[in-house]
Amino acid sequence: MFISNIFKSLNLMFYIHQTYCISPQKTFQQASLETLNPPTKKRLLAIEPAYDGIPPGILRRMGKAIRMGVGAAMPILKSSNPVNGIIIGTAKGGMEDCIKFLNQIVQYEEGLLAPGNFVQSTSNAIAAQLGLLSHNKSYNTTHVHRGLAFENAVIDTIMQLNEFPDNHYLLGGVDEISDFNYNIETLSGAYKKESVSNEHLYDADSPGSIPGEGAAMFLVNRQKEKAIARLLAIKTLHTEDLGLVNTSLQQFIAAHLPPSKKIDLLLSGENGDTRTLKFYTGCEGLMDKHTAVIRFKHLCGDVPTSAAFGLWLACYILQKGPIPAHMIKKPVTGSPYNTILLYNNYKGLQHSFMLVSG
Amino acid sequence: MDTATLKKQLKKQIVEFLNLTSVNPDDIKDDEPLFGEGLGLDSIDSIELIVLLGREYGINIQDPKEGRKILVDINTMVAYIEQHRTK
Amino acid sequence: MGVISAIGNSVAENHIALTEAVCGVKKEFSLFPTKYAGMLPFGQVNISSVSLPGKLNITEPGVTRTTMLALHAFNEAIRDAQIPLPQLSSFDTALIGASTVGGMCLTDELYADANNNTEGSPYTLSYDCASVALYLQQRFEMNGIINTINTACSSSANAIMYGAMLIKNGFAKRAIVGGADSLAKYTINGFHALHILLHENCTPFDEGRKGLNLGEGAAFLVLEKEEDIAGKKVYAELTGYCNANDAYHPSSLSEQGDGPFFSMRGALQNAGLSASQVSFINAHGTGTENNDEVESRSLLRLFENMPPFASSKANIGHTLGAAGAIEAVYSILSLVHQEVYPNLHFNQPIATTGLIPVKSYQKIQLQHVMSNSFGFGGNCSSLIFSKA
Repeated sequence: MFISNIFKSLNLMFYIHQTYCISPQKTFQQASLETLNPPTKKRLLAIEPAYDGIPPGILRRMGKAIRMGVGAAMPILKSSNPVNGIIIGTAKGGMEDCIKFLNQIVQYEEGLLAPGNFVQSTSNAIAAQLGLLSHNKSYNTTHVHRGLAFENAVIDTIMQLNEFPDNHYLLGGVDEISDFNYNIETLSGAYKKESVSNEHLYDADSPGSIPGEGAAMFLVNRQKEKAIARLLAIKTLHTEDLGLVNTSLQQFIAAHLPPSKKIDLLLSGENGDTRTLKFYTGCEGLMDKHTAVIRFKHLCGDVPTSAAFGLWLACYILQKGPIPAHMIKKPVTGSPYNTILLYNNYKGLQHSFMLVSG
Repeated sequence: MDTATLKKQLKKQIVEFLNLTSVNPDDIKDDEPLFGEGLGLDSIDSIELIVLLGREYGINIQDPKEGRKILVDINTMVAYIEQHRTK
Repeated sequence: MGVISAIGNSVAENHIALTEAVCGVKKEFSLFPTKYAGMLPFGQVNISSVSLPGKLNITEPGVTRTTMLALHAFNEAIRDAQIPLPQLSSFDTALIGASTVGGMCLTDELYADANNNTEGSPYTLSYDCASVALYLQQRFEMNGIINTINTACSSSANAIMYGAMLIKNGFAKRAIVGGADSLAKYTINGFHALHILLHENCTPFDEGRKGLNLGEGAAFLVLEKEEDIAGKKVYAELTGYCNANDAYHPSSLSEQGDGPFFSMRGALQNAGLSASQVSFINAHGTGTENNDEVESRSLLRLFENMPPFASSKANIGHTLGAAGAIEAVYSILSLVHQEVYPNLHFNQPIATTGLIPVKSYQKIQLQHVMSNSFGFGGNCSSLIFSKA
């Protein structure tokens, strides 16, 4: 009770005015989720656009994470007034360049090394490139807290808006799955050993999920007019205790769901991993019978920043984007969805709840 | 290797090493500035070109500032390579 | 507060070393095999990776040196702040860490795992920067907001800023903020490839400066609201902060230094102070030609009358992700003891600016101290600490 009273008084919201997403599905231009793109060599690889807006001289240096982040952000940076800050969440951004540089160290035995990979390997290279390309000298930061990297970027944006309510921010989440990341994550048991199509991701009764990648960017501020969605609240949690997750979710809803509203839709980050299924079924169990349940990890993969994809998806749904059958876990017919709960966790330890409305 | 062939080879190597995917090696003029105008390379590229000279031609340039005097255009680079290559 | 660096394994040891102008950057290097051991000077912490687990009571595998340095400083900070363990686990205690190296200090294991040359080392879950804060979260069963920031050399300054904002916005009652980085083949070779890693001891703000030395370390600070500090030991007040971007080049600052200028000016505005009220500046001062000249010019642009300033990177090296937090501790030590520590190895001022840093230990009256951290990607942060 005490906890929800504390959070009731906090201003946790912002309006989303634009959003773009580069992902393994058709999400970037004229989004359509009906056709489910399958994995390539067991990975859900992002479909990259032409990147016409990025000068070739700069594009050539960019690793995939930076390309995707910049590609998804450029339409926002080009179409709006200069933003007052660039706030990015990425767990593995730059890792590919990092390991390319590492390979040089080994191959050339610490001899003559080309520094380009090293410079691009810092996690803040995405945010830095965005600042460079838009000549933006304002607040610029990168959160890298693994499965809550994007959520911390969201919290940061909220705090910036509390301080500067007239400002606009570019908020985003980016991660890539390179050969190197894939190898490391595979060794740690993150992915299914067997080949599984993403279409049947939730049916395979085994540990592990499927890797993916992508970037989702948002223009956010405190202006209601012409907004496409509103973030009502967010909460993050580190625990492996199912009971604590359930209690926290109940308190979160009690504190932030407006009295006149109900949760129409649960966007569930269920990822096909039997080890973490209990958290998702636990969450579903707390919803009432009128709440539809939709899953999305088979579209984007189990990316640490998949909540960014989830938030893009929430915006897509609130804008009446058609939801294909392969996403629906629990159908409910009725009025269009207006209040969405997004629940995600990463490896059963890092949890987040986001409440989004139209 | 004659100068013309070396120039052709060097242009190809520069494009590959610096990942200049939008540039056709044959389109690089011999006297086109590598930095600033022309090819528009920057300080990180200058260090990378020094690495290229070291790996491909065995040329050891310790100071990037000295390197910039050599890395003016294809002509100056090729002249330096012909004088100092050890590979 | 808690700190570990090349000049000491605690706040007290660091303090004494600073007053005695100790230089912890030396050519003796023993952490791992590298071509540069004995050739380049490094600011190495004087505890081996083999003995750290025993000292810290770590029994589980997969804990990297970066995490162990972080734990060392974290332990000191929470003991110093006398935070009872239940309060550490409270939902309103935040932990904000920072690291640029993370577990990549284990360069050889990372290479093997990334290239699929092994059955999997114990470190597959420990390579990223988040592994440090996640380890602390699990070890101490922390339930508040946990985060990790990586903005290269300004990372832990931004972590301090983030923690302060969490408290200001009511998302936390207390925040343990800081950063850690250990020496790694990865960063040594990276900076060397950029030709900015020096073969001798660095000379910040000196006309003849030619590059930086790398160091390692960690520092954590405990931040709390004014209303909650009654009866507690208070070192200083964080009165201002700002982050801005230079937006010029991935790894160097622009000539006019807008990034540093805006971050310093923004911090002053945030604190409600004028430039003339700053008593001392703990400069970023890496010793590179680019940083020190641009930082100097930005300082001159902002300060009509330059206050005393100095860089501590000649004492401990550039500790990357830990720099902002370690230098925050040093800035606070200055305030608490009303003294400033010399900028080591300085000979001649930079010809174009004429600025001369503090050259010897002095007792002076200090009210407000500014600490600067400028990172790759043009990420510039400035913090202002004031006498409590």
